[in-house]
Amino acid sequence: MSYLGYPDFFEPYIKKVEQTRPARIEKRKKGEEFPFMSLQERQDMLRYHPDYKEEGRREIKVGPSKGYRIAHEFVDLLEAKSRVDPNKVDLSRVDYEADVLVIGGGGAATVAALIAEENGAQVLVATKLRHGDSNTMMAEGGIQAATKREKDSPYYHYLDVLGGGHFKNDPDIVAAFVKQAPDALQWLERLGVMFTKFPDGRLGAMHGGGTCRKRMHYCADLSGMEIMRTVRDEARNRKNIKVLEFSPAVELILNEHGQCAGAVLYNMETEEYLVARAKAVILATGGSGRLHVQGFMTTNHYGATADGIVLGYRAGVPLSFLHTVQYHPTGVVFPEQIEGWLITERFRSEGADVLNVNGEKFVNEREPRDVESARFIKECLDGKGVPTPTGKVGIWLDSPMLDILHGEGRVRTAFVGKWKVYYRLGIDISRAPMLVYPTLHYQNGGLKDNAECETGLPGLYVAGEVTGGLHGENRLMGNSLMDIVVFGRIAGKNATVFAREKARDGELTLKHVKAYHKELKEAGIVADRVAPMLLPDYTTAEVKEKQLTVSYLGTLR
Amino acid sequence: MSLAYYPGCTLKTRARNLEEPAVASMEALGFKLDEVPRWNCCGAVYSLADDDLIHQVAPVRNLIRVKKQGKNELVTLCAFCLNTLKRANLLMRQDVAKRDTLNAFIDEGIDYSGEVKVVHLLEVLRDEVGWAALSQKVKLPLRGLKIAPYYGCTLLRPREIAIDNVENPTILGEFLKALGASPVDFPESTRCCGSYQVVSSPGDIAEYTRPILNSALKNGAEAMVLTCPLCDYNLGRGQKELAKKQSGFREMPLLYFTQLLALALGLGPQVCHFELNHGSPESLLKEKHLLSQVESFQPIGGQK
Amino acid sequence: MSTKQRKRKPAKTAVKEEKKIAAKLIPIYIMGKRYEIPEGLTIMKAMEYAGYILIRGCGCRGGTCGACGTVYRKPGDYKLQVALACQKTVEPDMYIAQIPFFPANRATYDFAGLTAAPEEVFKLYPELFRCVACNSCTKACPQGIEVMDAISALKQGNIAQAAQLSFDCIQCGLCTSRCFGELAQYHMFQLARRIYGAMIVPRAQHLTEMVKAVGEGRYDRFLEELKRTKEDELKKLYEEREVEPMAAGEDWKPKDRRYL
Repeated sequence: MSYLGYPDFFEPYIKKVEQTRPARIEKRKKGEEFPFMSLQERQDMLRYHPDYKEEGRREIKVGPSKGYRIAHEFVDLLEAKSRVDPNKVDLSRVDYEADVLVIGGGGAATVAALIAEENGAQVLVATKLRHGDSNTMMAEGGIQAATKREKDSPYYHYLDVLGGGHFKNDPDIVAAFVKQAPDALQWLERLGVMFTKFPDGRLGAMHGGGTCRKRMHYCADLSGMEIMRTVRDEARNRKNIKVLEFSPAVELILNEHGQCAGAVLYNMETEEYLVARAKAVILATGGSGRLHVQGFMTTNHYGATADGIVLGYRAGVPLSFLHTVQYHPTGVVFPEQIEGWLITERFRSEGADVLNVNGEKFVNEREPRDVESARFIKECLDGKGVPTPTGKVGIWLDSPMLDILHGEGRVRTAFVGKWKVYYRLGIDISRAPMLVYPTLHYQNGGLKDNAECETGLPGLYVAGEVTGGLHGENRLMGNSLMDIVVFGRIAGKNATVFAREKARDGELTLKHVKAYHKELKEAGIVADRVAPMLLPDYTTAEVKEKQLTVSYLGTLR
Repeated sequence: MSLAYYPGCTLKTRARNLEEPAVASMEALGFKLDEVPRWNCCGAVYSLADDDLIHQVAPVRNLIRVKKQGKNELVTLCAFCLNTLKRANLLMRQDVAKRDTLNAFIDEGIDYSGEVKVVHLLEVLRDEVGWAALSQKVKLPLRGLKIAPYYGCTLLRPREIAIDNVENPTILGEFLKALGASPVDFPESTRCCGSYQVVSSPGDIAEYTRPILNSALKNGAEAMVLTCPLCDYNLGRGQKELAKKQSGFREMPLLYFTQLLALALGLGPQVCHFELNHGSPESLLKEKHLLSQVESFQPIGGQK
Repeated sequence: MSTKQRKRKPAKTAVKEEKKIAAKLIPIYIMGKRYEIPEGLTIMKAMEYAGYILIRGCGCRGGTCGACGTVYRKPGDYKLQVALACQKTVEPDMYIAQIPFFPANRATYDFAGLTAAPEEVFKLYPELFRCVACNSCTKACPQGIEVMDAISALKQGNIAQAAQLSFDCIQCGLCTSRCFGELAQYHMFQLARRIYGAMIVPRAQHLTEMVKAVGEGRYDRFLEELKRTKEDELKKLYEEREVEPMAAGEDWKPKDRRYL
């Protein structure tokens, strides 16, 4: 028994949404919006945001950002030992050699590899899962760039980025970002990314939360996948890019001159630790949703476990903005099978209302993500969330409005990815609303770098979600896909220049790991944790008790 | 009137000069060529192997989709597609065991037993329009144009699927007459052009096509009319080689029957895509005043 | 295992595990081996419940990366079913095998040197013409793409149609694993989409103009100014900035044009 594909349980709740829908549609058509909050109201609302819960974090006791308060889940990883005993890795036996070693296999890594190759480098890409398995692949909404001179410019893009990030962002990084975004977008267009366009070639563009101009470009609702598979395809055409899959880096290697000069790789299938030597290293390992900060569900891919943060931090790179993580306001809470799954912000950009249990609007649907999420959480705390039969609570996202506003079939065609998955579960989201709740989505901060993607460690470049600074304390929709392209390109270029002009030959060392171990001991940290974690552990406790050896967690010998 | 229509892959790429004039001409004659939804390759060549049913899947699936389209007759333009589709259709009518296997495998939710009638556009012109009626619609008679009608194999062989008398076909000749042209009979008009031999032994093409071309020329043809892109390819390529090898050999324009139809119906040269032809008919058509002196065959804007 | 232990874990996991215990158990067969699994789990979560630690066959866990292509059969049914392990809910008596990798021929090409002519695709992938229209690819597609139709479109030189039909392709390779003609459809579609995106759809003229303006340094001064602006002043600029209305059409223009 079901109502529009949902269990009967939901029938009275969905009917409330249907009752208020005609009036809401009329308001939309007249251009009447729910008022935006003022900056002060936003600030007050953020009390409800998980980032602001003091019991969720603690001070880290070791390393270059000692004393910084971040989520327990990050501290646990950073206050952990290496997966390898640094004394037992034979650095004189080099298994792989390259000009530029790219660690990671997602968008930023692949873009960086392409540009490094174009600049003449022999590139080795080492990635934990398959090439392309990444958060980039899952990004749906779109990619921001000011492209329409008659109404937009990098100036406005800059203001929006800062407003989203609570004006805490690194100004140099933001300026470089907004300035290079149009060129990066054109680069993608020429690689053959199928952007959604008007017949004359004009790019479709829409608002995202916190944008003042419609500058979010997109490829239906599979923007990240389309970008990822295109750059990956191009990488596969380049003979000087070699890709090692299922081979995550577990430690950076330095040389005697204090330059980053490679990494210890781990073949997850044969359990060998291998030495890769390079003249420059680009760290682009992405984010950390799979740490499940504060127990939240996540939209992130399986490998999003903050590996790069651990590697970089141990090698002396400080953290930046890691005290904030982004909760995407709209992750699925029901049906269970797709719990945590991201529902792109574009539904709201196109005019779908968010509604409480009474079918009423309670927030403008285009507030910045942190504010929107905090407001959802507040609404549920106030008892106005929609209950589920599985004991959770959510907010309605009224997708059927889009068919009414933009014409029959809009949801089916513009959100084909979403529509299909729901349809397979028996729900037609062009007729029934979706039930959502904030879900762990993006690591706003990370390793500290500058607008040239340089870190404090010579020869180590970083790009993408593993970095911190661009997004300040909160990223806006559409800026992460542009982040990976703009800074992937910069990192690729600068790493190649470093490899050619500044890299020095010298003995390889893991001294920094030994020093870090010593610091852990001195700080009195006696945990048996090892990091990076590489993969989250979803084994049930019952099974785990009987798994007396679990190889991938790191067999310390 | 709407006719279920099967174009074939080549007509969408290399042989647009076979398809586009046909679509325009039939519209002028009051017929809409309605493409079979989701058609796939015809199978390209009819498989003669007894135990190789998989190669019948493609043509049979197309026929099933005609049935799903709600039609019981299918029109083709390419003689090769006609041949493949019609023979597969025959198999579905005649061989019960194979029919059952194919139906079960194809899994389209329809049991098919050869009930769609597959015809060539020439048959539609002959049987549904009629030569006399066609000739009345001609606005620009192709007077004085001496054309050799070339049938090749696929319209006529095997006998069971022939669109005309196997020994002494006249359909192309009648067609040319209706358009006001002068058909040139020649004994090699049903001789094979070499067909798929061009794939395995491209060097032999000149030898296959030499007797055909020479015979047509000897009998006074100024051009040759064709129904098949593969014949066009082989004869066109054969001509080029013969021109190099055989002194005094003269290349002649090779034209699709649909191009002549469109021209005669007064639809103009643009729809005919003469620029895609082997051996440009431009000077011949100008000489016969079938093309104004200023017109030329430059591709229209934007097309490569 | 005691409930106490579980309660010490973060809230999310605790809630989930309580539920698992309450759920009815059903039998499934992972590569022929029987496990009892709570109903309602996806194939992927069921394998993890059984104790598998996935290295291969697991990627985004959200239905877009193509890592977890899975085939299964149910007793008494000859039909082979396909699914993404992260998307499909387990059913009793399923026989499951993942196909995390399948060899596929991929042509390499100099993309910038290609044109939109169909012959380019034919030359790089001559095996395209080995398709016998058996439709096994379409049946094997967990995305419900009309794979065979897209291949037909390519043979017909209709790159645009192949690109559009295949747009949802997650490149899991299940079509390739089932292809009678030994085609690697998903690589061909990737090529088609890139040709379509770069060479068939018109380029965005306004983008070229913006890139030019940026290159000429038109916005450098504004950005330098912003970089020097203090937070309070920035907040004012931010609050006062003109917001393009949601309902605005393509022709909307702002009143303040100083920073354009």
